[in-house]
Amino acid sequence: MSSVLRFDNVSKQYPGGHQALVDVSFEVAEGEMLFVTGHSGAGKSTLLRLIHLSERPSRGVVLFGERNLARVRGGKVALHRREVGVVYQDHRLLTDRTVAENVSLPLILRGTRRGDIAKRVRSVLERMGLGHRQKALPAQLSAGEQQRVGIARAIIAEPRLLVADEPTGNLDPTLSAEIMELFAGLPERGTSVLVVSHDLPLLRRMRKRVLVLDHGRLIDDIAPQDLAE
Amino acid sequence: MSRNAATAPAAPSRLRVWLDQHLHSLAFSLGRAARKPGSTLLTVAVMGLALALPLGLSIVMDNLRHFTGSVQQSREIGLFLKLDVDPAAAARLAASLRQRADVESVEVRTPEQALAEFRDGSGLGEAIDALGENPLPTLLLVQPAGADDAALARALQALPQADLVQHDALWRQRLERWLGFGQRVVQVLAVLLGLGALLVVGNTVRLDIQSRREEIGVLQLLGASDGFIRRPFLYLGTWYGLGAGILALGLIGAAGLALREPLAALTASYGSAFRLQGLDAFHSAMVLVGTTLLGWLGAWAVTGHFLRQTRPTET
Repeated sequence: MSSVLRFDNVSKQYPGGHQALVDVSFEVAEGEMLFVTGHSGAGKSTLLRLIHLSERPSRGVVLFGERNLARVRGGKVALHRREVGVVYQDHRLLTDRTVAENVSLPLILRGTRRGDIAKRVRSVLERMGLGHRQKALPAQLSAGEQQRVGIARAIIAEPRLLVADEPTGNLDPTLSAEIMELFAGLPERGTSVLVVSHDLPLLRRMRKRVLVLDHGRLIDDIAPQDLAE
Repeated sequence: MSRNAATAPAAPSRLRVWLDQHLHSLAFSLGRAARKPGSTLLTVAVMGLALALPLGLSIVMDNLRHFTGSVQQSREIGLFLKLDVDPAAAARLAASLRQRADVESVEVRTPEQALAEFRDGSGLGEAIDALGENPLPTLLLVQPAGADDAALARALQALPQADLVQHDALWRQRLERWLGFGQRVVQVLAVLLGLGALLVVGNTVRLDIQSRREEIGVLQLLGASDGFIRRPFLYLGTWYGLGAGILALGLIGAAGLALREPLAALTASYGSAFRLQGLDAFHSAMVLVGTTLLGWLGAWAVTGHFLRQTRPTET
C-alpha cells in the first residue's frame, strides 16, 4: 500500500534554539488510522504544524504522497492544505457563521457549485447527527456538537489525510467514543487519519498503531496487536 | 473508497469560481462596512476631508489660471510720449512704428481720450476739471508681432519721443511663477494628504484584520488562498475610497455653492464677469476613480504585509 505521509529524519529547531523534533521518521499508509502520543512538549503539535505547512522542517524531508513539502511554496501552500483536513481540540469554528456556513467553507474555497455545497453540507451533517442544527450558531451548540461540526468541516471535502489534535480532550468518554467511531470509519472512505492524543485508555480501546514521542524523538512505533490491555 | 467517486459533480469553470468568490467577497465586505457604521463613516470622513483639501486648492488654482489667463495673453506695450510731443508727431510716430516687422498694431490714445476715460472710471470729474490743463501724455498702445517683446520694449524706450515704456512681461512672468508655485504646493499637498488617506485606509483595514485574525487563521488552515483572504479587504478599501471621493466632491460642491455668489459680487465690482468653475463630469469621475484606487491600494499594502507574516516559518 502506498503512503500518504512520510517523515524522513525530520528535525525541527525553532528560532531561539528549542529543539521540537529530532530525526523523526515514520510513514502513514493510504487508508490507515493511527495515533501519536506523548507528554506535553513531546513535539506532537510541531508534527502537525509540519504536516499542515505552518512550519517547515529544519532538516529532513516530509513527503505528502509524492510531494516534498519543502518545495511547496506560495499559492501551493493553500492547495496542499485543502488536501489535509484538521480537527482541533478547541474546534476553531467561526462564531458569527452558522453550522452550515462553517461546514461549507472548504467547499467554497474549492469553488464547488452552490447547489452541490448545500447537498453535501446536509449529507455530512446528517452523518454527524447534526442535520437539525444547520442554522444554529456555534455558541448555541454543546461542546460535543461543536466538535462534530469541526469534524464535519474537516471531512466534507474528503481530504487525503485528516489530522486531529486532541479531538476528545474536553469531551466525556461517551462522546469521545462516538467521535473515535466516526474517525475509524473514515479510512474506508479514502481518508487516512492521524490523531494526536494522550488519552491512553482511548488508545488501548481503539487498538490502532501508536507513535510515541518524547522530547522530540520518536521513541516507539507500536503496532495494534502489540498494544497491552 | 468513495473519494473521486463516479457520482462526483463536474468541476465548475475557473471563471465561474472566480466570479462566485468575487461576489462572495463583495457582499461580505459590504456587510462588514454596514455592521460597523460608526467606524466606516469615520474612516470615510477623515479620508474625504484629507482629499477635499488638495482637490479644493487645485480647483482654486484652476480658477486663478482661468481668471489671469486673459491678462497673461495680453502682450501689449504702453509707450507714454513726452508731454511736448504734439498729436501730429504722435500720429507720425505711430505710422512709422506700424512699419516695423515686430509690431502688429499701434493704437493712439490721445491725452483727451485718456482724461475722459479717467474721468468716467474714477468718479473724480470735479477734481480733474479743477486742474485746468490736461496733465496726461499721449499713449501709444503697441501690440508686438514677434516673439521677443522685451527687445521691442527696449527699442521703444530708446526713441527720443519716449517718456516711459510700460511692459508687463516681468509682472506676467512673476504671476506665472506664483501660479506655478501654487500649483506645486497643491501637488505636494495632494501627495501628502493622499498618503495620509492611504494610511487611514491601511490602518482601518489593519484593525479589521486584527479583529478577524482568528477567522483568517482558520480560513488559511482550511486552504484559503491569499487572494481569497485578501479580496474582502480590497473591496472594503475600495468602498472606503469611493465613499471618501463622493464625500470630497460633495464638500467641494458645497463650498463652491457657498462661495459662488459673494465671489461673483466681488469680481463684478471690478468689472469682471468671472464665475467660479467647479469640476466637470469627466474630472469628477476621475476623482472618484483616483480615490477608489487609493482605498484599494491602502488595503492591498496592509493585507500584503499581513499575509507575508503568516507564511510558514523557515529555520
